[in-house]
Order: sequence, then structure tokens, then C-alpha cells
Amino acid sequence: MITRRNFINHACGLGVSAAPIVSSLLSLGAARQLSAQTLPDYKAMVCILLAGGNDSYNMVIPNDSDQYSQYSAIRSDLALKQQSLLPLAGATESGRHYALHPGMAQVQQLFDNGELAIMANVGTMVEAVDAQAVEAGTAKLPLGLLSHSDQIAQWQTALPGTRSTSGWGGRLADLFQGVNLANGISMNISLSGTNIFQSGVATGEYSIDSQGDGAIGIDEYNDGSEFGAFQKQIIDSMFAVKHTNLFRSEYSLRMRSSIEAQRVFVEALQSTNLPTTTFSQNKLSQSLRQISRVIAARETLGVSRQTFFITVGGWDHHDELLDNQAALLPLLSTGLSEFRHALVELGVFQDVTTFTISDFARTLTSNGRGSDHGWGGHQLMMGGSVNGQRLYGSYPILAKNSPLDIGRGIYIPTTSVDLYFAELALWFGVSQADLPMILPNIGKFYAGGNSAPLGFMV
Amino acid sequence: MNKLPLVVLLLLFISGCGGGGSSSNVSAPQPPDPPSPPSQEQLVSASRLASSSTFGITYEGIENIAQTGSEAWLDSQFDMQPTFSRDIVDSLVQRRDEGEFEAIEDDIDLLIAFRRYAWWHVAMTAPDVVRQRVALALSEIMVVSDNVDTLLVYPYALTDYSDLLVASAFSNFRDLLRDVAQHPAMGVYLSHANNARSDPENNIFPDENFAREVMQLFSIGLFELNVDGSHKLDDEGQSIPTYTNIEIREFAKIFTGFSFAGPDSYFGNEEPFFQAPMVMFDNEHEPGPKKLLNDLVVPAGQTGMQDFEDAIDNLFNHPNVGPFIGRKLIQRLVSSNPSPEYVERVARVFNGDNSGRRGDMKDVIRAILLDPEASNPDGSIKFGRLREPMLRQLAMARQFNAKSTDGFFFNDGFFLQSLVKQHPFSSPSVFNFFLPDHTPQGSLAEQGLVAPEFQITTANTIVAMTNLVGAAVYANYIMETDGPFGTVSLDISDYVALAADADALIDRLDLVLTSGGLSDDTREVIRNSITQITDDDLFRTQVAIYLFMISPDYAVQT
Repeated sequence: MITRRNFINHACGLGVSAAPIVSSLLSLGAARQLSAQTLPDYKAMVCILLAGGNDSYNMVIPNDSDQYSQYSAIRSDLALKQQSLLPLAGATESGRHYALHPGMAQVQQLFDNGELAIMANVGTMVEAVDAQAVEAGTAKLPLGLLSHSDQIAQWQTALPGTRSTSGWGGRLADLFQGVNLANGISMNISLSGTNIFQSGVATGEYSIDSQGDGAIGIDEYNDGSEFGAFQKQIIDSMFAVKHTNLFRSEYSLRMRSSIEAQRVFVEALQSTNLPTTTFSQNKLSQSLRQISRVIAARETLGVSRQTFFITVGGWDHHDELLDNQAALLPLLSTGLSEFRHALVELGVFQDVTTFTISDFARTLTSNGRGSDHGWGGHQLMMGGSVNGQRLYGSYPILAKNSPLDIGRGIYIPTTSVDLYFAELALWFGVSQADLPMILPNIGKFYAGGNSAPLGFMV
Repeated sequence: MNKLPLVVLLLLFISGCGGGGSSSNVSAPQPPDPPSPPSQEQLVSASRLASSSTFGITYEGIENIAQTGSEAWLDSQFDMQPTFSRDIVDSLVQRRDEGEFEAIEDDIDLLIAFRRYAWWHVAMTAPDVVRQRVALALSEIMVVSDNVDTLLVYPYALTDYSDLLVASAFSNFRDLLRDVAQHPAMGVYLSHANNARSDPENNIFPDENFAREVMQLFSIGLFELNVDGSHKLDDEGQSIPTYTNIEIREFAKIFTGFSFAGPDSYFGNEEPFFQAPMVMFDNEHEPGPKKLLNDLVVPAGQTGMQDFEDAIDNLFNHPNVGPFIGRKLIQRLVSSNPSPEYVERVARVFNGDNSGRRGDMKDVIRAILLDPEASNPDGSIKFGRLREPMLRQLAMARQFNAKSTDGFFFNDGFFLQSLVKQHPFSSPSVFNFFLPDHTPQGSLAEQGLVAPEFQITTANTIVAMTNLVGAAVYANYIMETDGPFGTVSLDISDYVALAADADALIDRLDLVLTSGGLSDDTREVIRNSITQITDDDLFRTQVAIYLFMISPDYAVQT
């Protein structure tokens, strides 16, 4: 059981821009850490950001003939041919059937095996709104709706009403750091550099590469040679200097942390048996391969909770939508399947949940070559603890004059990201009481208690 | 990844330790001719100006600025003819066609690398240093990138766009905005090339991509601004959006009808032509009126180009442009957190309050570089700007007299980019390498400061940058080379000549690299390190330069 220590006031360490959230957290009495007790189990979340706004209405497609006709009519020259689609086994509770993009055979397999589920029409929301209120301008909407920079951030912060630098993965790490700081390496590991998702108040991400052992050391530093000893001496003194200038001080801190973390990290990876699963050569697969190595080294690293973050760019398909998705979705599909095999090999598939996020889905209507920025869209969740072979949430009827359509086939989300993330956070070990600290907006959509937010996790 | 520098480094160190090879003679610095050499204060001021306005210059260059005076030197820079990349690409294409590169063409698609070669060569050699630096700053505001295949494989795509920024760096912002909007590389990158008028029967509407980003990123930003860059607030204390999706759709209509110029030009032509602006096809341009910003209605019945020019005027005359673009340029050149007063001074110059010349880029650049906050900062702990990795690599080559065996500085930068995640015109998205408001957690955030460049300063890139310095200083590995291209190496003999006197060496490096801002403690570390080396001036100098270039004092431009 996870127990928690008494309130630890983080206020002194809070960023100015995070202040509004933080004050509400403090008023909830929620700024606290879990205690340093050992967690008996291991759990990890892998967040894959499809940056640019995946046109997910061409990833998951209605497959009943009347609904396919509606899809085909509204998507016009962007519609995929029905005979090319990969049907998904089973039907939703409403009796409707769906299919996948033709390039996602492995995802179809994962779905049919019950190891993958689909979250339909999920998006950033301040509160539930309808099209009339949006039209009238009275709806409370996410800041910078339809804009990349804001929406890509809000999918990571789960704070659609503010421009915050604190991500919900970072807040998780703040909460869990007491059980995770065995060796000074953050529980949040990024394969794509600095990101908002993993930035908390007290903890940030540890950034690694997909190649080699992931972490780069300073050349010659303490390498056993005479010069190596000198190199260590001069580098250590250089970065021991205290700086009053805040930029210099931050730079120096980052260098010191990097030197220390690299040594521990590489030793851990090199002392661990690695999965033998073969991964493709592309960046996503290689990133997932590196993550599987880090997970294999979890005991040496002394962690019981980890998040991983990968950005896959290139989804802003204002043009060449069909060709580009035909190239990118198979990479996602293959990568997920390879990762699944490696996790099964390591015996941790039930302990690792992989999920996608993206800025937004795109307009259902075409601009002649592609689609423009939208709002609600579909996401994938994979893992041994996912109640797979199901579609969660509500897939909109794609009829003209849909009550969810706010113009050009931009659909109001029918599920908030808060519910999507709450399901994951509760599985990860966050208590109901701590949930508002991770997802401050959750109260608008979820009453708590015994019923799961969405039910897609075991 | 680090194998090459590592190995070379070791070899060099062995020879260095043996004490052989390097000069043990200490030659005195050559006495300067001018009757009244510039004061230390003038030199420091000149060095600071060079740091903000060039890709890095040598001690002699700094002396020259100090003797000329900042304003006069800037004026002389404004008067210089622009140096373009396209001539270099022309000659490279010709050499390729003549078969000179056959031996290495199997390894690399040279056409991909040509525009990068040309950029580095110009950056190393062009005399119009301020123009080149401002053009690079503009490239991080009006972003296009070779991470889009079309812009990678056509050597003239980004060459011509880069040359446009070089040509327009000292023109008027309105012309710059128009030329950027009409440039085929931008047309490809933000997909308004071959953007057709509406076809409502088939549910097809104009592409909104460029319409959105030209407002959000290239001209006015998301929120109404006061002249000092702060947000205007409504009655409820909320920021006021500058536009909604309705205006985006109206601007999207404006940007319909463009396609590529060239010998075979027709709307819908997918074969891009990069050496002339896109041309308008009125038949494919959205008819009807368009309601733009501040209630301007572009009337029905105009030609596509009339609509386009009106829309550019509409954006250019928005009161946000001065503070919005002014702040971004200050961040690229001088400091991450300019005071509201500094932004206002620059914005008022942009607005032409005194000159009547709205948008004059020379006026704006002069105002940014010669502002008291740039030339004479108050030493606040909040002042500064983390140097960008690509600029550090370039400055290292320039400030330590890099020479090429064949006179050309060919660098494709792919190795650099893989290590430090940055290369000119190679941003991951239109949002540049980092966001202007990125705030690292910790003490910077506590003080409410932004520090954009920290967004690409990760555990790995910070070490990689340090290793690149080591490779350059110890192993002369500064630029990539291949096949028939020459080899580039640093020449630090001027500094070796000073090495016998540790303090003189440190003083000189402090002036050139840190504009006299080296902290006492860092000076002590460098001094203690190099005075351990007593018999080898070259090695002593290398260690001094290495420590300077990796120090937090240098990494942050203050």
C-alpha cells in the first residue's frame, strides 16, 4: 500500500506561471509526496506524442455501411476506401463497427488480442460545452483552441485554462519522488528532449538518446589516463563554481547533474540483460527499444515507477494527408507491436501502459489536399493491463449538422483528456484523494468513488 | 558517436605530454600602431556589441569596432553589400555536374548538403556580419526547415529563402513579410502553394495553415499587446485574443491562388520552382469580400495580388507588430527577458514615432543593439541569454581563426545537429527549436524568467556541446569534411604567444569571449588549471580555451 507523508509545502519552489494552479492545490491541501516506503510492484507509462495533430478520423473509421457513407461524404477526397480498411473485431455497446487505417495491421492484431483499446473523440476541455454555446461565444473553451502550441501543451499539462509549465507526468513525479530517488535519476525519462509532460515543480525529465547507451559522457573524463584525471579535476572545479547570475547557475547545475546521472545510467544499462526482440531502424522503434532496455534495468536503477516520453513529429497534414499518413501510421503500428514483444519477453507487459496523445484531430472537411486544425480525436492505449478490444468514449455520428460540429467538421470532444489521464493515473497508483493534484480539472468530469473514470484499465 | 574526436584527442594528448612540437618561445604581442589605442571600457563595449550582432569576431575585429565607434561601425555594416549563398550553390552544382564529386556521391546526396555547405561558407567569410546574424535571427522567427523533404532535396529552396532574409534584413518589415509570404519555400512549408478556392459542394475549403501561423508567429501574436509588450487586459483582467478562427478563415481565402513560378507554371503544378516568388492565379483565388483584422474589409472584385497586398498591409499596420517582433529580435540577439521599457523603446522605433519610418529594419536593429540595456547591462542576476549551440560552434571557428586548406568552409552540419539538436534552417517545426516563453523549472521559473535556449539544453546536448569544444580545441575537428573538400583547422597561435603569462592569456580570452564578464571564481579555476602546465604553451593555451568555451560564463551571453 502506498501511504503518504504529511503535507510538504512546495510553495517556495513553484514557478510564477504555475501559481494559480498551485494555490488551488494548496487550498486542497494536496501538495505532498508519497513516503519513501518501498513499492512492491513496478509500473511504467509510455506517452507517445504524435506532434502536429494526427488526423485520427482517418486512423479509426466507422465501418457500418450507412456510417461509412456519412464519413465518405464529409471527408470527400480525403476518405479512405472502405474495402481497404482493417475491420476491428466486435462492436461497441451501441452496435456500431469500426475499422483501422489500412497501414495498421499490427494494431489490428493487438486490438483483436485484447491488448489494445481505442479512446474515441477525446480532447482538451475546460468544461462540457455544446455547439450553440461555442457559436454564441459563451462557452468556456481551452486557451488557444486549434493552435498547435497551446493544444500540444495542454495535452501535456491537462490545464486547458492556463499557460502552465507543469505537466501531469511531472506532477506525478513530484508525488512519487519519495519512492523513486534511489540514485538521482528522474523517474521521468524522455527520448525526445525537454518536454512539458514530464516537467513538474521539483522534478524534470532525464533526457536520453535512442542510440548507444542513451547518455553521453564528457570525453576523456576520468577514463583512467593521466589526461582523464586532469580532465576530471578541471571539469569538476569549473562546475563547482557558484554563480549569482541565474542563467549561469542553471547551466552549471545541468552540467553537474548530467555528469553524475550519465555514470549511473550507463552502468545500469550495461549490467543488465537486454531484450532480444528486433526493432525497426526508424526513430520511434529505436526509442521504444531504448525504453525496453531502461525498463530491463529498472532494479539496478532502483525505480518502481517510471514515465517515458517520445515525440513523433510530422503529423500536421495540411497537405499530402493520405500519402503522409500511409507512411507514418505503419511506423506507429510496427513500433507498438515490437515494443509489445519486448515487454512480454521482459515479463512486464502487464506493468507498462503505452498511450498516444496528439495536439488535436483535424477538420473532417478537406482543404483540397489535406485537413486543418480540429479538436477532439482518437487515441490508442496498449498494455497487458488494458481492457482491450474495445472502443471507449463516444465516436461521433459524422452526419452533416452533427450537434458536435462547430464548423468544417471540427468535433467537440465527448470525453475530456482529464478522464483519459485519470484512468491511467489511478492505475499508476495515484489515490483518489491525490488525483486533483495531478489533474486539477478532474472534478468537472469525474465524481470519484468506486466507479472508474472510463474503465479501460484493469 | 564520439569515437573520432576521442581517438584524435588521445593521440594529440600523447604528443602534447611529451613536450615536443609546440613552441617554447614566447613571442611578444605585436605593438599596435594607432596613437591612442582604445580603452578597456571601449573594448569591452565593442566585444559586447560583437556578441549580439555577429557570428563572433577576433580580437582585431573587436579593436576595429572600438576604434571606429559602435554607431559608425554599425552604419558601415548597414552600407555593405549583402553576401548571398546562391553563388556558392551555383558553383557547387557546376562542380558536381563536371564530375568532381563522383568519388563521394555514393556516400551522401550532395544536393542535400549543398545549401548547408553554402550557409557555413558564407557565415565564415562574409564581411556583412551584422546582416548575416540578423538574417539568422529572422530565420528563427519566420521559420522554414529542411525537415520537410522537398525543402531538403532541392538545393535552391532554403538557399533562396536564406538569401531573401539576408537581402531583407535591413529593408522594411512590410516588404520582408510580403516576400516571406510569397516565397515558394514558405508556400511548401506552410502549404499555401497550390491552395485552391473553396469548393463547398465537395466540402473543400481553403487551407488555413499559413493564415494561422503568419498571424501567430510572424507578425502579431496571439494577444493584444501594449507598446511595451505586456498584454492588454479586458474588464475582467483577461488577455484579449488578437483574432479568432473566423479571421483565420478569412486570411486563408486571401492566400488562395498561389502556385510556383518557373518555365512551366500552372496552378496545381507539384514541381516546385524556388528561384522566383510564387505567382497568383486569379481563377483559383477565392472571390468575394474578406473581413480581416480591425474591421478591414477587402472588397470583392479585386485581383488576387491586390487582396494579398491589402492583407499584408493589414497585418503590418497592426499595433502588435512592433512589440511582438521587437521582443523576439531582442531575444535572438541580446537577452531573454528584456525589460518592458527596452521593448517599448524598440517598438516605438519600429512604429516610426519619431522618424515616420514604420517598420524600418535598420532603425529597429540599431535600436536593439545600441539600447543601454544591451550595451551597458546593469549586472542583474536576471540578465542574459544562453548562447545557441549552433552559434557557439560557429563562433569558435571564427574567433579562433579557422582556416581552410582550399579556402572553402564546407560543413554539412549533420553531425553537429545530431549532437546538439540544432542547425540553421532545420527546426523541428514552425515553432523553432525552442519557444520564446520556455521557462525551465527551478530558480529561473521562481523569478518569472524565460530562457528559451534551455529547451534544447538537455543532459546529453550540454555534454555534447562540451565535447565539440574539446574536439575543436585539442583535435582541430571543427567542421566535417569529405572527398575533394579542404580541411578546416583552428589557428590559436595569437593566444599561444600570450600563454607564458597566464593572466594575460585569460584577460585576452575574457575580452574576446566573455566581454570582460568572466566571474572571479571561474577565472581562478582557469588560472589554477593552466598554471599546472609549465612546459607546453600550446597545451596550456588549449586548456585555457577549452575551459573558457565550456564555462557557464561563456555559455551565457551577459
